[in-house]
Parts: sequence; C-alpha cells; structure tokens
Amino acid sequence: MKVEVGHEIPALVKHPTTRQLVQYAGAQGDFYEIHYDQAYAQSVGLPGVILHGLLKAAFLGQLVTDWLGDRGTLKTFEVSYRGIDVPAQPYRCRGRVKRVDGPEVELEIWGENDEGQRTTVGTATVEIR
Amino acid sequence: MSTTTPVIDRLRARIGVDGAPVTAAVEAGHVSRFAAAIGDPNPRWTKEAPPTFLVALAPVALHLAEAEEYGKGWLNGGNRFEYFTPVLIGDHITATGQVADVYEKSGSTGNLLFIIFETRYVNQDGVVVAKLRGTMIRR
Repeated sequence: MKVEVGHEIPALVKHPTTRQLVQYAGAQGDFYEIHYDQAYAQSVGLPGVILHGLLKAAFLGQLVTDWLGDRGTLKTFEVSYRGIDVPAQPYRCRGRVKRVDGPEVELEIWGENDEGQRTTVGTATVEIR
Repeated sequence: MSTTTPVIDRLRARIGVDGAPVTAAVEAGHVSRFAAAIGDPNPRWTKEAPPTFLVALAPVALHLAEAEEYGKGWLNGGNRFEYFTPVLIGDHITATGQVADVYEKSGSTGNLLFIIFETRYVNQDGVVVAKLRGTMIRR
C-alpha cells in the first residue's frame, strides 16, 4: 500500500438507481420522501428524487475500507454535502493521501458526479498497523 | 419577530441536554441488508458493521422532529464520525443524542435553520464505540 503524500487511491465508481434508493431507505430507516417519491421531491423544489447524503457517505466509506483492507483502522470519517445527486448517473468516489504522520494517514476524499463536480467532500484518517 | 422564533428558542433550550437514549442490537441480517443496499460486498461485513452503519441503529438526528415546524424540507449538511472500537455483529449499542448548536442564516432562497447535533454510541460493555456529529438544515 502506497502512503506517500499526493498518491491517489483507487477510485470507486457507483451506479445508483431508484431501486437502490428505496433499498437504502429501508436499510437505514430514513423514509424522507425526497428519496423515492418524484412528485413529493418536485413539490419541495428538487428536480426529482435525490441520493441520501448518507448513501454517498457510505460509498466514500467503501472507498476507504476497500483501500485500507485489514492493514489499519479507520479513526475519523468526515463528509460535507455540497450538491445534490440524482440516480441513473455514475457517482465516482476518489481519494488522495494528504498527510502522513507516523502510523497516522489523512486522506482527502470526495465524490463527483458525471460532470466532474465534487458534490461531496471530506476527510478520513486511518491508523496503519 | 417571525412565527418561527419559538421553535428556534425551544431547540436552543435543549443545547447540551441529552435526549432519551435508544438501544438497538447490531443484527447480522440488518447489517447484511445495509451492506447490500450500499452495494458493498466486502465479506468483512459479516462480522463487523460498515463505517456508516451506526446511522441505521437509531434516527440520525434524534429528537429533532419539532424542527419540522420550520421551513418545508430537510437538507443534510454533513456528518463526522469518530471511531474508537469496531462495532461487531451481536453488539447492543445505545445511542444518545443532543443538540450541540442551533442558528439561523439567510440564504439566497430564504432563511435556513442549522441544527448541529451530536450522538454518542456506547456498547453493552459501557465502551464508547463511536461519536457522530452532524449538521441538519431546515430550508
């Protein structure tokens, strides 16, 4: 595992669908209608149903745990939601090593839409064994 | 003052005060459905919960329902998880949430209400396994 500052970790591309939004709503227990009811979503000014912020966080969590494997432990995981994302568009999760301090490694992580806009940005810190 | 003032005051009065705790078991079937829902096939999730699973154990923003008097919809501003020990299948986790801050901001499309909340998760041995801090926005 390369942990040099600036190294980009393998990207993870997700293909969320409306079916996945319903599946996630059930698994998390978040039944806010903007994630599965098109008419409701439009009534509150959205283009249609949108991805749960926490589903995008889960995608970014997978990005980090796939990269880390059993070689370390996730210590902190932080995301800010900067824009909405809709299903039926690929969602690309990416990350880059930002800081290495002994066993502690900080990653800059982000999720980008099909136009390359970073709609979720964050930081993860891990401790390498 | 606007009619929305009382709800802000009521939320502000709760800053730093723990809400009622919620206890839930980390069940293998639930974790497996959660991992399937996020599309993460890692076999590790047959023994352990994925990083964001804690939000499925209890409502993310515990006891913030009354904030729905403000505006017409919720936005999730962000989430920060801090992990201390892994959450394993079979654990019994108690989530306790509190409001950390409440403030109003004017945005381009009207006023927004920001509610910063904190939840701590404690396992059956009394060990704090994780903390979550989040920003929920009413618009």
